[in-house]
Amino acid sequence: MIFVIAEHKDGKLKPITNELLVFAQRAAKEFNQPVAAVALGDNLANISDELKAKKIDRVIVAENPALAEYDPASYVAALKQILAAEKPFLVIAGHTTQGFDFAPRLAVALRRPLIAGCVDFEKQGDKLILTRQIFNAKMNMKTAPRGDAPYLATASPGAFPGDEVEAGGNAEISKLSIQLEGIAKRKVIGRSEAQKGQADLTAAPVIVSGGRGLKQKENFQIIFDLAQAIGGSVGASRPVVDAEWLPREYQIGSSGQTVSPKLYIAIGISGAIQHLVGMQTSRCIVAINKDAEAPIFKIAHYGIVDDLFKVVPALTKIFNDLKAAG
Amino acid sequence: MKIISCIKPVPDPASRLVINESKTWIKDQDLTFVASEADNYALEEALRLKEKHGGEVVVISMGGEEAARVLRSGLAMGADRAIHLADPQFKGADEFAAAEALAKAIEKDGGADLVLTGVQSDDLGTGMTGVMLAEFLSFSHATVVVGVELTSDSKTLHVKRELEGGLNETVELSTPAVLTIQFGINQPRYASLKGIMAAKKKELKSWTCADLGLTAEQAGRAGAMYDVKEIFIPERKSRVEILTGTPEEAAAKLVEKLRKEAKVI
Repeated sequence: MIFVIAEHKDGKLKPITNELLVFAQRAAKEFNQPVAAVALGDNLANISDELKAKKIDRVIVAENPALAEYDPASYVAALKQILAAEKPFLVIAGHTTQGFDFAPRLAVALRRPLIAGCVDFEKQGDKLILTRQIFNAKMNMKTAPRGDAPYLATASPGAFPGDEVEAGGNAEISKLSIQLEGIAKRKVIGRSEAQKGQADLTAAPVIVSGGRGLKQKENFQIIFDLAQAIGGSVGASRPVVDAEWLPREYQIGSSGQTVSPKLYIAIGISGAIQHLVGMQTSRCIVAINKDAEAPIFKIAHYGIVDDLFKVVPALTKIFNDLKAAG
Repeated sequence: MKIISCIKPVPDPASRLVINESKTWIKDQDLTFVASEADNYALEEALRLKEKHGGEVVVISMGGEEAARVLRSGLAMGADRAIHLADPQFKGADEFAAAEALAKAIEKDGGADLVLTGVQSDDLGTGMTGVMLAEFLSFSHATVVVGVELTSDSKTLHVKRELEGGLNETVELSTPAVLTIQFGINQPRYASLKGIMAAKKKELKSWTCADLGLTAEQAGRAGAMYDVKEIFIPERKSRVEILTGTPEEAAAKLVEKLRKEAKVI
């Protein structure tokens, strides 16, 4: 059995769950295993209906008021009970702020392998090989989990195409009751949204985005100049915001804004997966970067491999000349 | 309050990384090692918490001379003492084996109120070790931390976590706890000359595998939960059209493409 730990919010599956199901459905074919989706929470009727519509074999539902809100200790305790009863081959969670928050604890508690941030898998002989990115996506590492199943994996958001999830199953729903008394919970006491302020980029048709390749705060001016010449908005990758060159509201990527403009120009951005998931659905992507190996070129439509400090001013000049010519 | 800050030595981000002959890791003999970037934010947060609430900051690292180096710079930044897990047997540890060794060392050092790690390392980058460490120590934990507040009795923490899509949540947890610190939570300080001088007098103790009560089977590669089959540079199934020429020529070609072919401007 291959388990998918469903992520859900406000009575709906999160998009990552479809990605995990694609991973599971593909692995199920290679290893001739059934797929079960596991949902933890309270009042999961909508979630189990949504899961039941996918082409999977079982939906395992564990409802408990203590699971109404995600908390790692309760998740680990619940999953330990479910895994002991079901003995799956592979357990897949998202490499998300939920998945990587509980899966490592579960792996240690069970003393089983966890391969985190998977982007691919394969079968070698009868062995499961999981591939993950290392060195900020510059290289991939194929790993073979040791010992006996269950093996645990978290899947990188964006690595498996969620829209290719197969529908049309007739999954059996099993309700499991679990014991969660006496667990010291981590309590959520507040939620907030990072300010969007001046830089709500979600509706911008053209975004000129700069990254670490700009080297220092003052150099970001050339990004603003190009954006102005082209009539676009300015965005940034995470390192730029961390270095306080720009406020957090400019950040594009998994922990910032998700954008889909008709034109996205990535300048001095290498293209870590956390950035790519925030902009990869843009209609036309341009990458300008000195490093021809940068992952951003994998998803770009047009690329210039050269010194951005020469290319960007040249581009700005052309757009300004075009404007002046009307 | 006793705060332990874990530091992982990683190749300097500016280095050119070359895969070794057996394709199981990079050629790391001639590289310069520095503290993994997120670990600098963790140490800075530890120092700020100490400045506010008192106590001590202990830095810990595992590895050869490169680990001793990041520890000395941690001491120069302001940590009070350092623990170096120095034993060839630690080499090749995965997240699990590293977390187990760190947990044993923290227990041997008398435990801690707070353990801080970076949210993820610059090499393996999976963000697992801190959370695994929490389970080994039976501490509470929180990941992707962008704010830490200690309540007046020092028993409870209010911790702000960064979630996806620009959302944050604040959680309450009890100490002892492990926090994995997100990039950008603060601006890490540089070591001052005075700090560098003072560091030379601070304690830097070194423990082996046996000191921690770990067998050879539990440490390093032997204690890992997975085998590395192959490291490779992923093939780019790219659709990209690279525009060549001088910067001016490439820029002109790009504008032409955007106007005539992609028709986006």
